[in-house]
Amino acid sequence: DQNGVEIKKFKRFEAYKRDNQFPPKVRDMGIVIDQKNATVVLPVMGRPVPFHINTIKNASKSDEGEWSFLRINFLSPGQGVGRKDDQPFEDATAHFVRSLTFRSTDGDRYTEIANQISNLKRESVKKEQEKKDMED
Amino acid sequence: MAAIENFENIYLDLSKEGGKCRFAESGLGWKPTSGGEPFTLQGNDISTAQWSRAARGYEIKILLRNSSIVQLDGFQLEDFERLAKLFKNWYSATLENKEHSLRGWNWGKAEFGKAELTFNVQNRPAFEIPYSEISNTNLAGRNEIAVEFAVGDGKTTNGHNGASSKGKKASAGKDQMVEMRFYIPGTTTRKEAEGGDA
Repeated sequence: DQNGVEIKKFKRFEAYKRDNQFPPKVRDMGIVIDQKNATVVLPVMGRPVPFHINTIKNASKSDEGEWSFLRINFLSPGQGVGRKDDQPFEDATAHFVRSLTFRSTDGDRYTEIANQISNLKRESVKKEQEKKDMED
Repeated sequence: MAAIENFENIYLDLSKEGGKCRFAESGLGWKPTSGGEPFTLQGNDISTAQWSRAARGYEIKILLRNSSIVQLDGFQLEDFERLAKLFKNWYSATLENKEHSLRGWNWGKAEFGKAELTFNVQNRPAFEIPYSEISNTNLAGRNEIAVEFAVGDGKTTNGHNGASSKGKKASAGKDQMVEMRFYIPGTTTRKEAEGGDA
């Protein structure tokens, strides 16, 4: 850029290319972790909506009475975390989905999903780091 | 073309129970498999219609002239031609094939249409939120908008929700969506927040 600082190029990632790649389980209109494609599919008004693991910051579970809540936080500007090259933060006009919260009476399931998302995130960060080390 | 076209295992407005959907020249009807009150729609109330991938097969989303939305899902991919033809011939409406973004990105543009908020990723919708499903919106922080959904008491009724009882789609599945937060940059924040309340 004009300051002579090298801008790291945003690496494009893609969850799916075609809609027949969704895991069959999306039929249940529940949260589906797709390990193979490093993607979390979230049900939004009857539609399966993929979010690549690279967009996810973390997932946490909490309880309130008979309900359990699963909150998925995404990487977005102004959080002071996340590497700049993960997302096209240079597009100053972009809107971001920052978080999504679901509830269920099956708390064990949300503990399991939160763990799976954490593991998927850890693996993906590790893989990225290995790729970077290879490039250097 | 037959005078009536029938489709089985169709869900109305994300109902738990499937039913039969019947199209005729005058309009369409849906009836839950276990019986009960049928839902009917006059053909001339239909403004536009969209075809896209849903959780349960494919979905027809109908925008009515009064700006409300009717969702029918559970169709098969191969039903498209038959349905596109009947929408054109009987309701003078194009069944537009709307492909959704599958990139898996969480950034794009939130746009406010007649009946719903659409989150577009590279000019393709990633998801839509009908305004009727929103119970509250607020500015949760600088550039942050929280949208809360009507999930009721969670004891979802069986059968169809019907076009008359909105505010149940967020809790239709086994995971009920209760809140979504957006980051909206710059000075448009207040305006966008008000738009979400519409």
